[in-house]
Amino acid sequence: MPEIDSGDTAWILASTALVMLMTPGLALFYGGLVRRKNVLSTIMHSFFILGLVSVTWVLWGYTLAFGPDTGLGIIGGLDWLALEGVTGDPSDTYATTIPHLLFMAFQMMFAIITPALISGAFAERKRFKAFVLFAVAWATFVYAPIAHWVWSPDGWLFGLGVLDFAGGTVVHLSSGIAALVAALFIGRRTGLIQPATEPHDVPMTVLGAGLLWFGWFGFNAGSALGANGVAATAFVTTNTAAAMAAITWVTISWLHRGTPSVLGAAIGAVAGLVAITPAAGYVTPAASVLIGLGVGVLCYGAAQLRLRARVDDALDVFAVHGVGGAFGAVATGVFATTAVNAAAFEGLLRGNPNQVVLQLIAVAAVGTFSAVMTGAILFLVNLVTPIRVAGDVEETGLDLAQHGEIAYQS
Amino acid sequence: MVIAALISFGILLVAWILAPSEGVEQIAEVAPESELAPVAA
Repeated sequence: MPEIDSGDTAWILASTALVMLMTPGLALFYGGLVRRKNVLSTIMHSFFILGLVSVTWVLWGYTLAFGPDTGLGIIGGLDWLALEGVTGDPSDTYATTIPHLLFMAFQMMFAIITPALISGAFAERKRFKAFVLFAVAWATFVYAPIAHWVWSPDGWLFGLGVLDFAGGTVVHLSSGIAALVAALFIGRRTGLIQPATEPHDVPMTVLGAGLLWFGWFGFNAGSALGANGVAATAFVTTNTAAAMAAITWVTISWLHRGTPSVLGAAIGAVAGLVAITPAAGYVTPAASVLIGLGVGVLCYGAAQLRLRARVDDALDVFAVHGVGGAFGAVATGVFATTAVNAAAFEGLLRGNPNQVVLQLIAVAAVGTFSAVMTGAILFLVNLVTPIRVAGDVEETGLDLAQHGEIAYQS
Repeated sequence: MVIAALISFGILLVAWILAPSEGVEQIAEVAPESELAPVAA
């Protein structure tokens, strides 16, 4: 039986807590971006999911995502239902130097934040009951299968040789595409002069971005699943890409709009964190500079296109997570090198163009699956309870109408 | 124990489906809010 390494275990315990903090951080990031009458409902989406998916993951999510394969590389079986057989001893398959329960908990935090990311697309007009039902279904029927495809040794994308260090496709592309579908399904917000984000509290958003950046060290460096050199590489590439994307976004907005946007710094940093996620443990720090630069330019452009489009993805989830996740996945195929991580494959720049093709296959498969399944789930939930609140509720604000509370007394 | 755990979550799920959609009618005057605020980036 594999033996527990105390250093690895300590680092993944800390990383799990870091990733947990990202979801309240996301709540603040999104909460600051909406109008003041909807800040509590926006925060509630993330905070309630923290409880909701924690439970569904223990009961059935983990076994569907990481349980022994049912035979086709599509989804895990029910062997570990309610964590039966998942103990404090190491797994034979996953992270063999830490307790299996700890690996499960680390993965749980990823499963929590992914549906929370989607909530930004239908902010300010989503019925809470519908959101709860959507989140349960999405975490079960979209997240769990995709995680199995990419991260289970029996998963079909894993078997092809697709690289996704910490969730560029599993977390960000899947949620970004789902956000686009959700925004199309639910329609545009009413009462907006322009389909731009209308932040009521920029400091709240910047605080949220800071917490996300902090937690992302656990997300990416923790995905080394050990306290080792790969973790250190992932830590440095994560910080570098976030930094480069932040200063790139600010520079572009400065030239484009005439002012260096504070919000741009926050959103740009998140875009950089998204793009480096699939690559963090596979690329050099120099490559992470280029990834940060590229995603800063690309996501800024995507956000500008969204402003002109009729699609009201309220908080730019698709522009940042969908576009950034896809870019990061492809960039991984370009920059990956076994010089950084012996478990990686060489990328395009190391003479292996096939890795880019594999990454594109993963982007297409995950994007298509997420789009189709998200649309189906929204359709079915809408039959149970309308996804969108009534017009007068939207006018009043979801905080008061849906939750009976208001964020600010004056 | 596993079955009991699943049932307990199932009870919550049914409760969410049956729970009221709109909890509160407008209980206070909310000041109208400006629709023109800074644009991101």
